Amino acid sequence: MPPSAAVRVGSPFTGLGPVFMKELSDHLSSIRMLVLTLFVIVFGAFPVASSLQQLRTVVGADAYLFLRIFTIAPEQIALPFVQALNFVIPLMAIGLGFDSVNSEFNRRTLSRVLSQPIYRDALLLGKFLGGLVTLAVALVALWLIVFGAGLLLLGLPPRGVEVARALGFLVVAIAYGGVWLAVSMLFSVVFRSTATSALCALGLWLFFFILWPMIADAITLGFVPNEIRSVDQLLSLQELSLALQRLSPGTLFTEAVIGLLNPETRTLGPMLPSQMRGAIVGAPLPLDESLLMIWPQVTGLIASMIVLFAAAYVIFQRQEVRA
Amino acid sequence: MHRVTALLASLALFVLAAGGVAQAAEPPKADPAKAEAPKGLFLLTDYPSQTVRVGEVTTVRVKLTNSGLPPEPVALALSGVPAGWKIDILGSGQPVAAAMPGVNQDVSLQLRVDVPKDAKPGSEKVVLSAKGPQSQVELPLTFTVGSETPAKLSLKSRLPSLRGTPRSSFEYTVSVSNDSGKDLTVALSAQGPANFQTTFTEGYGSNEISSIPIEAGQSKDIKVKVTPPRDVKAGDYPVLVRVAAEGATAELRVTLQISGQGKLALSTKDGRLSGEATVGKTSDYTLVVSNDGTAPIDEVEMSGSVPSGWKVEFNPKTIQSVAPNEKKDVQVQVTPSDKAIAGDYVATFRANGRGESSSADFRITVTTSTIWGIVGIGIIAVALLVLLGAVARFGRR
Repeated sequence: MPPSAAVRVGSPFTGLGPVFMKELSDHLSSIRMLVLTLFVIVFGAFPVASSLQQLRTVVGADAYLFLRIFTIAPEQIALPFVQALNFVIPLMAIGLGFDSVNSEFNRRTLSRVLSQPIYRDALLLGKFLGGLVTLAVALVALWLIVFGAGLLLLGLPPRGVEVARALGFLVVAIAYGGVWLAVSMLFSVVFRSTATSALCALGLWLFFFILWPMIADAITLGFVPNEIRSVDQLLSLQELSLALQRLSPGTLFTEAVIGLLNPETRTLGPMLPSQMRGAIVGAPLPLDESLLMIWPQVTGLIASMIVLFAAAYVIFQRQEVRA
Repeated sequence: MHRVTALLASLALFVLAAGGVAQAAEPPKADPAKAEAPKGLFLLTDYPSQTVRVGEVTTVRVKLTNSGLPPEPVALALSGVPAGWKIDILGSGQPVAAAMPGVNQDVSLQLRVDVPKDAKPGSEKVVLSAKGPQSQVELPLTFTVGSETPAKLSLKSRLPSLRGTPRSSFEYTVSVSNDSGKDLTVALSAQGPANFQTTFTEGYGSNEISSIPIEAGQSKDIKVKVTPPRDVKAGDYPVLVRVAAEGATAELRVTLQISGQGKLALSTKDGRLSGEATVGKTSDYTLVVSNDGTAPIDEVEMSGSVPSGWKVEFNPKTIQSVAPNEKKDVQVQVTPSDKAIAGDYVATFRANGRGESSSADFRITVTTSTIWGIVGIGIIAVALLVLLGAVARFGRR
């Protein structure tokens, strides 16, 4: 332990429980939760309802029919459920986290809380976990709505593999929400004004959604040589473009979800025709192979969530809160 | 005893036939040199002396010929019909009493002879007479009651012995002759070794038949098709073709000379045609080459087609000989390419030997190495360590 001015004793988790419970109850009873529920219904249930309408008219043996509810693009609305979630989860997470610390500061309740035997560690972690669990509650509710509607309207139970893949999808979705929650909490620690913090978080979200794909394309174009001589050159360009895209958490989420919910997906990168030769098209990958395939994406999401939280933590610990 | 009566009956028939010439107004002169045919009215029948059975109906065909005379109605009559017998003169199936043949034309007539059940054995003479205004003719007929030639059949085959493999079909053309004096419906049957299938077809027809009607004195060609079981051993197999009708039977022995043939089959020990392989690593599978045929197969060569960039090796590459009902193990080593993507692939393995071949599609599930999964966990662990370091440095404030 490095030498320090203050003598640090006791567990940093002291008081984590009350902070977490208070934060959770605040979230769940707030108007914000009502708005979140509305989000969930509009952006989640609506595409699912229309994709179920379409699935009911399709007669065909599909081993993964239940997973198609998530992935199929309905004819009426060109918005698959997964795409909708990719869009709406960051919004929900930012909504939950953008004012978690600075609102306490502005209401001058922060010093009052910290005068209790509660460490800042516990306060920040409790707030983060409270937000994450609130997000998870909303997502689980949505997931259950989808499954229940699927059971009702398709009239067939999902297989064990399908349930496992759908649960994996839920975990990935929560991790994705955690990344954006950590981002918004970081901004709420950095900026004293809630409006600035919300603006920055939303700005980053818009940047990754709208600008980043174009910027990634532009950067890739800069690397294109005068003439492409071999397949390897083309392949390396494609891989560069993909690597740049993957800096956006949205891309990681989409790829992980495709790998999980489309069992036929063999690779997330470019595939050469020579690699396709002899392959049985449409044969689903076993679950462990799919998990292995999306593991880098999941790793990226979880690790960036932890790193962002650590950054927020360090900044928060170094701040002066007595005002 | 039966044979002796038949002999006697035919002898009696011969004697009677010599006497029973169709009487005509002018005796027919069969001289081809003469341009003009003999003129007159004639009553003709093929067999003026016949055997009839008690209680049965016999039909005698008679022809009334007018040679060179102007047409005139001719009254037909029978005389000498024994008591209890019923003989009708039929023309076109209807009872007739008179006929009118045109110049140089015939009228076909039938005598329907109904012999009563209590008729006594012996010969009866019946005279059929045709009487016109100008001419008259008589035809004496002799019916011998009780004894007649029994049904008699004979079988002949031009090619009674055929050679082939267990997979070829053996077709014998057999001609069945009805040597008796009446139409017979002949039942067909064949007796071969166990599991040999025999079917009968008529001439060039495709319908399977079990019996065939043959007119008196005629013969018909039938085809006997014998299908041996696939696993039959090489050797000679006799098949007995038997025809039967009304107590008469005839038999013919045909022979199948079956030579052996090998048949390759490719499978695995437990019949499972799928396996797993890891990218870039060699996987071993055991194939089983078996010979389901009846002759050994020499120099069986193994080959395989796998996705591009993959390697496949067989051990042994060539099998010297596979005897019938023998199984031989072949090790196959498959190495997926380094760049292979996880998923299911098809590899086809083949065994080729002397005109015989067999192939098996093998489904290989390629799995990727788990090393990147461990790296991912390591990255998360590093992130957690960073957090722990931050807690240690700045924590519990």
